[in-house]
Amino acid sequence: MAGYRCRPLAVAAFAIAHAFAGVSVFAMDWPLAPPRIAATFGTLGKGRVFAGIAFSADEGLVRSAENGELSFILDESDHRGILPTPLGSFVIVEHQNGMAAVYSHLAPSSLSAYQRKPKSGDVLGKTGVSGWIEGPGLVFQVFDRLSGSWVNPLLVLPPLANDKPPIIRSLALSHIDKVYVLGETASLPQGTYKISADIVDPADSSWIVGPLAPYSIRLSIDGVEVVKEVFDVAKGEKGRLMLFTGKPTAAAELRTREGRYSLAERLFTRGRTTIELHVEDAIGNKRSVSWSVLVE
Amino acid sequence: MEEIGKRRVAAAGAVAAGLAYFLVCAFPLQKELVLVPAWTKSLDQAPASPSPPKNPAATSAAEGAQIPFRLGERFGYFTPDGSILFAEAASYGVAISPDAFATYERLSEGFSIESPEGEVLAHVSSVGYPFFDAGRHFVIGPDQTSVSELTKGGTTAWTYQFTSVVTAFDASSSIAAFGLMDGSIVGLDGSGAVLLNFAPGGSRVAGVYGVAVSPDGVIVAAVTGLDKQRLIVMEKRSAAYRVAYHRYLASDYRRPVAMAFTADGRLLAFESPAGVGVYDRSSRSETVISVPAASRLGLTTREGKLMVLLSGSGEEKRLVCAALPDRRLFDLPLRAKLAFVDAQSDAQGGSIFLGLDQDLVRMDLRER
Repeated sequence: MAGYRCRPLAVAAFAIAHAFAGVSVFAMDWPLAPPRIAATFGTLGKGRVFAGIAFSADEGLVRSAENGELSFILDESDHRGILPTPLGSFVIVEHQNGMAAVYSHLAPSSLSAYQRKPKSGDVLGKTGVSGWIEGPGLVFQVFDRLSGSWVNPLLVLPPLANDKPPIIRSLALSHIDKVYVLGETASLPQGTYKISADIVDPADSSWIVGPLAPYSIRLSIDGVEVVKEVFDVAKGEKGRLMLFTGKPTAAAELRTREGRYSLAERLFTRGRTTIELHVEDAIGNKRSVSWSVLVE
Repeated sequence: MEEIGKRRVAAAGAVAAGLAYFLVCAFPLQKELVLVPAWTKSLDQAPASPSPPKNPAATSAAEGAQIPFRLGERFGYFTPDGSILFAEAASYGVAISPDAFATYERLSEGFSIESPEGEVLAHVSSVGYPFFDAGRHFVIGPDQTSVSELTKGGTTAWTYQFTSVVTAFDASSSIAAFGLMDGSIVGLDGSGAVLLNFAPGGSRVAGVYGVAVSPDGVIVAAVTGLDKQRLIVMEKRSAAYRVAYHRYLASDYRRPVAMAFTADGRLLAFESPAGVGVYDRSSRSETVISVPAASRLGLTTREGKLMVLLSGSGEEKRLVCAALPDRRLFDLPLRAKLAFVDAQSDAQGGSIFLGLDQDLVRMDLRER
């Protein structure tokens, strides 16, 4: 909880403002136009929770999202050190309000090394394939230097055109090797169950090329909120990536082996239980589903 | 006549004084260092993949004699006597050290660690890219914010999630030091426990551009920050690392900075705009060896006090050789797209191993 309490007011302010207004608070521009978003903050990847925004683009100019100062540049084609660079060719630009942005997986040899103080919209490089990336594109991450945490870029970028609420594909309760998918099963034996959900944000827009992560997930059991995961900030603490707002959660524990969001482990005793799941995307589109199960 | 006699006495005295000076104050001239070509081998004639040893006992006796190289996509090992074990092309990346190598794909979810002779030492199923140093095997995650260390069997010993992007690294057998974009330097021991977590600050923009660890693990040095950039040297006293030396630098590097300790850990060489800065751990003083061309491609102090580095860009490169702390021996213009350099000291002087596009070259430094 220490990390949550010590987050500076800036991050808390735009998270709160975002929650109430459903709009971006800071005025960064899209680093790629037109943006074609492939993954967002909180997307479950290969053994990790993604803490940025990924764009897909065969060819495109990567532009500075805001006025800033280039603080680090690494070109994969020139790199000779022992340390590999999974981010491929990347630049780090210091923007305003203590925010630093990482523009990674750019085309090798396309980086503009001499532009020390790029203005908003200035070209930093070209999209490409470098480092650990499946196809040509760009990964954009925002780091709050004051709190030392990663910030969901959708909080600082112009709002997405999207009026579709997230989809809850399933909610499952699992006990050892037995899995009960709510909706398919009306009753289950009493015991301790791991609760996991399969959730995507379909976002009906030409801007979006892949299912996105939700912005928040809330789980209530018998009217009591037991889980609140908000994908606003993430921070490395004591050697683990923690997601904050709500109860701090280790990001590695948020993903099940099957790629679902692992939400809680609860003891279910005899009687009828109501489970509700509330999901919201970054624009404020919401979906709620409730299930009633008989515990025998 | 009396005047002539005085002159003769004075002349004889001057000659005698001169003779006495040459006899008493004689100072031997330093021996001349010459560069002697030893051999040149073409990579095209080398085996394209490692071949398992016919005599395993001979292999273990020869361990440590192999020198790893990377030239663009090609990598392999050679011995000081000019035998190339193999020169293989990696499809994407390779981690290589004197005792092991691993090739990996762009979307690497696993790889095999092999000996220079091609014997599979371990199969690893970790997502990310491997890298080897100081006999230790690591994997960096796809986000470049987490690192795992592997056991000899290839399983994950520990994983550490850093606060931000890892921008610099060096290791000894006792500490692995990581520099981060947020300006922190984190040192982890062999179990992943934190030995050092320090943010030097003191610059307008925080960042870590280079890290070097002395072979005994006692000293961790780093080039940090922007406006102004700093050299920080930390020394382990009792259980904790404390700043032993720091200085604001004239440099403004915004890319990885090459740094390396000598094998005895006494001297630290690091890039500086004027050439190569050399920090002496015992006297806590610095000297600079001037090096032409601004771009440094590689720097090694693998053995003794012999330091070699490549500078330049494109096909125009220079090989610079120095005897640390402050004696530049020579610099040699080279023409090659791809280049590699390594060096070894010996009783007669030392050897320089160069990779130039398709060729490996050995040159010996000899005193005459």
